Amino acid sequence: MDPILRRKPPSEAEEDLNAIRKGRDLSFQDLVSIGQVTSDDLVLLYEVARRFRDYKTYKFSFNKGVSQVNAFFEPSTRTSSSFDLAAKQLSMDTAGVSSNSSVQKGESYLDTIQTIDAYNVKAIIIRSKEAGVPEVAARYTQACIVNAGDGWHEHPTQALLDGLTMLDHVGGYSLKGRVVTIVGDIMHSRVFGSLVRLLRTLQAEIRIAAPLTLIPKDVERFGAKWYGDVNQALAGADVVYALRVQSERGANGFIPTLREYSKMFGISRKRLDLAKKDAILMHPGPVIRDIDVHSALAAVDEQSYILRQVENGMAVRKSLLWLLCDRADGKTKTFTRK
Amino acid sequence: MASLLIQNGRVIDPKNGIDEVADILIQDGTIAAVGKKAGKSADKTIDADGLVVTPGLIDLHVHFREPGREDKETFETASRAALAGGITAAVAMPNVSPVADNQTVIEFIIKRARELDLINIYPTGAITRGQDGVMLAEINELKNSGAIAITDDGSDVHKEGLLKRAMEYAKTCGVLLMSHCETKDLTEDGVMHEGWVSTQLGLAGTPAISEEMAVYKNVLLAEETGARLHLMHNSASGSIRAIREAKARGSKHITAEVSVQHFALTDEECLGYNTNAKMYPPLRSQEHIDAVIEGIKDGTIDCLTTDHAPHIEPDKLKAFQDAAFGTVGLETSFAVMNTYLVKPKHISLAQGIEKMTAGPAKIIGINKGHLSVGADADIAIFDPDLEWTVDEKKFFSKGRNSAFIGKKLTGKAVYTIVGGKVKYDRGTIVS
Repeated sequence: MDPILRRKPPSEAEEDLNAIRKGRDLSFQDLVSIGQVTSDDLVLLYEVARRFRDYKTYKFSFNKGVSQVNAFFEPSTRTSSSFDLAAKQLSMDTAGVSSNSSVQKGESYLDTIQTIDAYNVKAIIIRSKEAGVPEVAARYTQACIVNAGDGWHEHPTQALLDGLTMLDHVGGYSLKGRVVTIVGDIMHSRVFGSLVRLLRTLQAEIRIAAPLTLIPKDVERFGAKWYGDVNQALAGADVVYALRVQSERGANGFIPTLREYSKMFGISRKRLDLAKKDAILMHPGPVIRDIDVHSALAAVDEQSYILRQVENGMAVRKSLLWLLCDRADGKTKTFTRK
Repeated sequence: MASLLIQNGRVIDPKNGIDEVADILIQDGTIAAVGKKAGKSADKTIDADGLVVTPGLIDLHVHFREPGREDKETFETASRAALAGGITAAVAMPNVSPVADNQTVIEFIIKRARELDLINIYPTGAITRGQDGVMLAEINELKNSGAIAITDDGSDVHKEGLLKRAMEYAKTCGVLLMSHCETKDLTEDGVMHEGWVSTQLGLAGTPAISEEMAVYKNVLLAEETGARLHLMHNSASGSIRAIREAKARGSKHITAEVSVQHFALTDEECLGYNTNAKMYPPLRSQEHIDAVIEGIKDGTIDCLTTDHAPHIEPDKLKAFQDAAFGTVGLETSFAVMNTYLVKPKHISLAQGIEKMTAGPAKIIGINKGHLSVGADADIAIFDPDLEWTVDEKKFFSKGRNSAFIGKKLTGKAVYTIVGGKVKYDRGTIVS
């Protein structure tokens, strides 16, 4: 960390962030879909996130006295630790609920979430293997619900961090005229679900490349163009976004072998060179080295922004949690119980 | 027995070609006269001025859940719901517990219906033992104990060889075979119609071709074997096409139904992960709805049903992919037909009534669904212009899982008469 920032007294650091925020609030109180995020929301989230990023692990007291529960009903490494650290760096108290909880004893998701909500926590971060759990839960909680990935549906904070990474690369708040090529298991990817919606908002040219067995019906209505030949899809791209072929989601059987997939669609040095000279390579992780991305490109190549994405994830989540839990207008949610 | 006079209603009796203001006199449970001034006085008189008087509706597709899941529905609660919807006869699906694959269950159903004395209930038996698609049930025994048809509804008979034999055997026994059409290998884990909406929601889709292929398969096998085949709950454009082609070829032994939700609602009802809109077949996209309506208009479709499928609330309060399939429909089917087919002028009210009375009666071969003199006095009286909003808390059914909750519908039963007795009177069940 920048030693000058680290030693900054809390009052000054927080004043610094407040000066950037300028009393602004987000248009939403739960984040269940990236579709809720307006252009103004994006600017606010990113301006604040960039400043948080400068402060790295500096502990702010913005959210002191409020709590967060990380309800991860499906295993997660980076998303859960990132949300947890982000909350702690805002002085929140956090607790974790894992997949081996009451849900496995037969309690419904809704009952589990309403129970957590009765702790009067301010934020509940939900990861579920079923689509729609966060969106439905948000109707029945006083706490802000943040979708940390639901089934094949969406993973909005991943898209937010990806958007920040791309905008840092191109500058400004638009991807107009830029080509983003997404390669991999589109059908079973919640990362794609949020990213494609955000890219549309940012006006990027969206290309997708995968075998048709991994392309969901009517996907072109998101404004994405399908390519069976990955080389064509990569030509002239500004961003190359590789998705994991997700075997644990039943993707097996959609392709003959990982070997053949890797040969047809894996991002190699040679393929990356088809994109623009300064194109960046992104991946939401976990990377299956030598299947979706050639090992030599994964972490060390200067074009690889994969670890930068992770760093941006921390900053974006911190920005989101501050803006959601510490509203300038003091607005609270309306909800019912079921 | 008492006499009943229904005066000044618009009598619609499609089978007899009647659509005029007339009186109906009922004596001893049967229709004694229909016409202007059909009777001067009776023990009881109903003034049907401004109302529509039709044969009691016949619903070929109802899940009564009894025996086995009386927490979801019983013959009594579903019969009360039926009466509130103007339905006087219903066909019971065999996927209960124990499965209606033996005469004991069929006899139980007939006995319960008789004891309740609310509506006419016709049981169906299973095609295969336990509905597991492996071995044929004792079909002739089922027929002899009172099963009006055989079906494995809830699942498709996947094995083509077995389905062919089931048809041959059904033909031998002279019994109607009703097919639930679904190619499971194409449905996989699908939970809604595969299309733009399922892609947006990130839910596994059931492609239309899953149903369409199964319909084609059933049609071809019925034509090959000559069996009486009834195709249930058609929802996809290719299914309509297959049936239309078969009828054009002269295959008069093939009939087909549509469940009313499948021309009324699109897959967009699933947005927001609304589990009440989850059913099989799934609510489909507009182009399929257009094809279904075309099939109703041109006579490809013979009758309209509900596929009434009640569930307890916890089974619907799950994540969409884990929630139970099905919507209730007994209390809304007339209104849905009226609102989505008659009001937009796709068909006339008389045509709609035909598909819910004489049409279904003909398919299962019962002498009901008309108002001929001497016929059983099963009659529904509707207010065709009454606008109401579906409120599940007001249902007679135990099932609150309606895909139509909150929808504004037009048309509602006012009186329902079974065997000459008024069983439903302006909101109240009379028993």
